[in-house]
Amino acid sequence: MPTISPNAIVAQGAQLAGDVVVGSFSYIGPQVTLSSGCIIENNVSITGRTTLGPRNHVFPMAVIGASQDGCDAQTECVTGEDNCIREHVTIYGGVGAPTRLGSDILIMIDSHVGGGATIGDHCIFANCSHVACEAVVEDYVRTSGFAAIDRGVRVGAYSFIGGFTGIDRDAPPFAMLLGFPYRVRGVNTQNLKRCGFCDDDIQALKDAFREIFNGQCEGPNEQAIARMLAETNLNPRIRRLIDAIQAGERRRRQ
Amino acid sequence: MTDLTVLREVAPSARLAAGVRISEFCVVGPNVTIGPDTILGRRCSIAGNVTIGSSNVFNEGCVLGSLPQDLKYRGGGTLLVIGHRNKFGRKVTAHIGTEFGGSLTRIGNDNVLRDGCHVAHDCYVDNHTYMGEKVLLAGHVRVHDGAVIESLAGCHHFTTIGKYARIGPRTPVRRDVPPYVNFYCEDVDHSPPAVHGVHESGISMARLGALAEKELRRALSELFDDESALQTKIEQLVNMGVEGEVADLCEFCQRSLRGVFGRYRETFRGQMPPEAAEFLPPELR
Repeated sequence: MPTISPNAIVAQGAQLAGDVVVGSFSYIGPQVTLSSGCIIENNVSITGRTTLGPRNHVFPMAVIGASQDGCDAQTECVTGEDNCIREHVTIYGGVGAPTRLGSDILIMIDSHVGGGATIGDHCIFANCSHVACEAVVEDYVRTSGFAAIDRGVRVGAYSFIGGFTGIDRDAPPFAMLLGFPYRVRGVNTQNLKRCGFCDDDIQALKDAFREIFNGQCEGPNEQAIARMLAETNLNPRIRRLIDAIQAGERRRRQ
Repeated sequence: MTDLTVLREVAPSARLAAGVRISEFCVVGPNVTIGPDTILGRRCSIAGNVTIGSSNVFNEGCVLGSLPQDLKYRGGGTLLVIGHRNKFGRKVTAHIGTEFGGSLTRIGNDNVLRDGCHVAHDCYVDNHTYMGEKVLLAGHVRVHDGAVIESLAGCHHFTTIGKYARIGPRTPVRRDVPPYVNFYCEDVDHSPPAVHGVHESGISMARLGALAEKELRRALSELFDDESALQTKIEQLVNMGVEGEVADLCEFCQRSLRGVFGRYRETFRGQMPPEAAEFLPPELR
């Protein structure tokens, strides 16, 4: 039997695993599924067609699966395992395409995830970070306070978004992104080391970044990319970087 | 009519003094102590080891004493201590400390924290400070007496805000801010924040006396009108045999210069901070 506070409201139809804890004054909507080990603290509101994976911890005042217009029956939100969703966070559900959160994500106080956004595994969003609707954030992305990701934008894996930075167009993987409009300020070496990248890969990425982004405010250096693509045994990490840059440029021209 | 008076949850072992008012939908945990005449607005949630003094006001949606947002925290019995006569706006959050960072988050007396402020683990906020809307203090930050932090400013972890300093709105604070100065960005997206003269209302609030104020103004102008060769200029001042506020200012700046990236408190990473001897209960030292 799940442990539900007598002051909580769990609507009929909600599916709660046996060891779920629901705190006082929380509301769990009729189409919500909470997997085993989920802890929902007090004053939380989970609505829409929302499925939380195993061991998600939701802190007071968070709102998950809500919709912009108050019509919660249509919105959909799916999360993976071991996520931590802190106080006052709002995660909107997507209509059509669900909002998808991966596993092992920490979303800090007062952050926002828009409807239909997709977030990869192991991401950390610092306080007041904003991910607009339909944005895509790949694995291992970290943000600093007040970072904002614009609607429909894709942020590459292992990137770091600095404080007060606005991501207004697609951002490459492995990068340090700062300012508004953002500039690529180098390779996110710390995060890459933590994620087990070898020194050779990091050095190769540093050299590639220097050629592609050096001194450029608007867009990457096309000639440098063409020169690298002509190389015979291109490092797969650099191949991934170039693919992401080219895909971003294509989307921008559309 | 629904009887709203029953819609609150206070643990039986919570210690509430006389005159404490707890509004609807509040949750007060078992290890919480609240002093006399403190008011909790609707939907406030207080958990963990929290001690709150007298005559504080917490508006709607405050969350106090929840777990630190630090991945190294392993669930130690750490504290959040709040003094007297503080005013908290809506949705203010303050966390308990971490075992390796001093075990204590402390907010002093007579502070104003407007809506959405966040005081993270192991922060020390002294007395008479003001924080505008959505000011974020990261972990291990020290805010000295009378500092003013305007809306949407964010302080990097381990920074120190000197007394009676002012941080401008939407300023990313990445290094220590000296006392009595005005610190902001001219262009937040493209220039780093810097010292821009004296914080006039701060220096008058400090009531230093005419002579001391004049000397302090001269020292501040000498050091920060042009921040190059700061170390040499401080050494010159110290060699001249300064005392009082100017000596404190020199010491503050020298500590910051010795620290990591201009952050003195970073040298205490993983250790007890210097404030622990003063504020931490003996059993946790």
